[in-house]
Amino acid sequence: MTVFYACAVLGALGLIFGLALNYAGKKFAVETDERVSRVRECLGGANCGACGYAGCDAFAEAVVKGEAKVNGCAPAGEKGAKAIAEIMGVETAASERLVARVLCQGANGVAKERYVYDGYKSCAVAAGIAGGPKECRFACIGLGDCMAHCSFGAIKMQDGLCVIDEDVCRGCGTCVANCPRGVIKLLPASQKVMVKCRNSDVAREARRVCMHACIGCGLCRKNCPSDAITVENGFARIDPEKCINCGKCASVCPCQAIENLSASDADR
Amino acid sequence: MKVTFKRGVHLSYANKNATKSLPVRDFVSDEVRIIMNMHIGAPSVPCVKKGDHVLLGQVIAEPVGFLGIPVHASVSGEVTDVGTIPYLGETPVQCVTIKNDFKDEWAPLTPLGDVETVDPALIVPAIKNAGICGMGGASFPTHVKLSPKPEQKCELVIVNGAECETHLTCDHRLMLEEGERIVDGLRAVMRALSVERGVICIEDNKPDAIENMRRLCATRSGVSVQVLKTKYPQGGEKQLIEAVTGRQVPVGKLPIDVGAVVCNVGTCAAISDAIRLGRPLISRITTVTGCVKEPANLRVRIGTVAEDMIGACGGFSEEAGKVAFGGGMTGLCIPNTDIPTAKSTNGIVVYNEKDAKSIDEGPCIRCGKCVAACPIGLNPYLIKRAADADRLDEAARLSVNDCILCGCCSYECPSRRWLTASFKIVKQKLAAQAKAKGGKA
Repeated sequence: MTVFYACAVLGALGLIFGLALNYAGKKFAVETDERVSRVRECLGGANCGACGYAGCDAFAEAVVKGEAKVNGCAPAGEKGAKAIAEIMGVETAASERLVARVLCQGANGVAKERYVYDGYKSCAVAAGIAGGPKECRFACIGLGDCMAHCSFGAIKMQDGLCVIDEDVCRGCGTCVANCPRGVIKLLPASQKVMVKCRNSDVAREARRVCMHACIGCGLCRKNCPSDAITVENGFARIDPEKCINCGKCASVCPCQAIENLSASDADR
Repeated sequence: MKVTFKRGVHLSYANKNATKSLPVRDFVSDEVRIIMNMHIGAPSVPCVKKGDHVLLGQVIAEPVGFLGIPVHASVSGEVTDVGTIPYLGETPVQCVTIKNDFKDEWAPLTPLGDVETVDPALIVPAIKNAGICGMGGASFPTHVKLSPKPEQKCELVIVNGAECETHLTCDHRLMLEEGERIVDGLRAVMRALSVERGVICIEDNKPDAIENMRRLCATRSGVSVQVLKTKYPQGGEKQLIEAVTGRQVPVGKLPIDVGAVVCNVGTCAAISDAIRLGRPLISRITTVTGCVKEPANLRVRIGTVAEDMIGACGGFSEEAGKVAFGGGMTGLCIPNTDIPTAKSTNGIVVYNEKDAKSIDEGPCIRCGKCVAACPIGLNPYLIKRAADADRLDEAARLSVNDCILCGCCSYECPSRRWLTASFKIVKQKLAAQAKAKGGKA
């Protein structure tokens, strides 16, 4: 009999609380925009923070509120931006896909070594010790700060140089922010020709420390048919807006400092 | 009574035995390379050019800004180059190379006379003009330290003779051989700040230095010797103040805010020369030890290249793995032996390949040894966790900015985690962040 009473009392209590909670749940329900969760599904989902918000949820809310741009999520890419634009019922301008590119070719053996670094495996630490393990103070240090910060596993280290897999890279820019040397830049994926050196020292010094250093000779500028190249601070720069990817500069560069990705694709 | 601070670590000081009983030996090389940012603050600007003939003690670079001090020629001879060289930090530094003519012709000097009779108002400018900065390692310009704001009242001058670092014996030898200069310098500082009390602090592993300094202090007014327990980082400014006065320097404040000024023994000796002889800071004692054939305490001119000094000590005794400027705990590795010494280079330590090899980092086992060792009372294992995850705000909340980078936590860690190295980076990143914010506002 005691068992019966206990069950009856607990059951009744359960029923009362259940009904009360159900009523409270309906009465005090917080109105949420269902668009937030739909936008959230379209995002990269890495919480990389490249959009400037504290993670994907915060960005989705900002989009629905109209504070953030629909194409603000770099990892989501063009497809994601379109999907979000559809949810929000707005038009989005087709934005160019950006990928991170390493503007240095100073791999082990190419760039001269200053000392053997055997300390804490962090580029930021090594950069602070006597100008870094490589003679060139603009070179990729190759200890993988970018790799450690990449949420997508797009970066690997090879011969003391970071290599970015462009198919995996979502262009969030976390590596760019974490490189103490600033050798990684976000460039349009369609840009196939680039100067892979940022050494602003005088030509003699640049050439001494690396076989593939840009010496600022200006041969590329003279040969560029679309006037896209400027030589400033001792190294050449290509304006992606003007460049027509003809690859002429890469073929005339005496130091092989300019790389033409479409040419190397063809080789493959 | 021996005093000390809380926590810290006990190191093995056996590596001091090689040089602690060797008298200081003079060494002059045939070339010096004098860098322009030997002190904290904006680098000085060279005022000589290639081909100029300079005299010993002649100003070769003018000070810039509030923290600036002039730089003097440490040999007489011809300027052979004014250029840049890579140094210990991230960016190359400006450097004046002088070829020594071994004539040691002094530039005109203006001695101020005895430290007890000189006008106190002349002392601080003389220190600035002599290019004196802290010679213990941090190289903070001394004249700034000795110019407190009106609301800051200095009560005590502490002379740092603790020499808690491993390997180094330069301060020990200085106290034994030239203690008078130290006491003179201390008296000058006391008179400049109109302070009645000066204390020379020495760790109890240097009984001969304690005895010598006690003897010298007996005849002078207001100066005494305080014996400290041997513990690292006893010679840290804040630790020393805690040990001597029992006061802790608050977060973000300077020693002067608790009424104390701390000077290294080498700095005091240089101050004495600046007042009594009018001589600028052109030489210092540097301990060269480790894997060299004849370890020594060398009195070298500022800007002597490490290679020459190692050569003066008979060269490497075995294959060198690392060469560092400074002692075992806070020393900085040099990329090659072509690097000149600066005003704060208290030692060159050569490690063999076995000792130089670093050990791979293991996982944190939460043993708490780092917490027990940290002289500041931080939680290094928690800061390291935040640093590894790149959570700068959390690291800042855990007071990483109060870290003095003494290396006690890394030394004690059984997992050999890179605690101090990562804190240094976090501090740099936070400073950059603060600068960026300040720039925007």
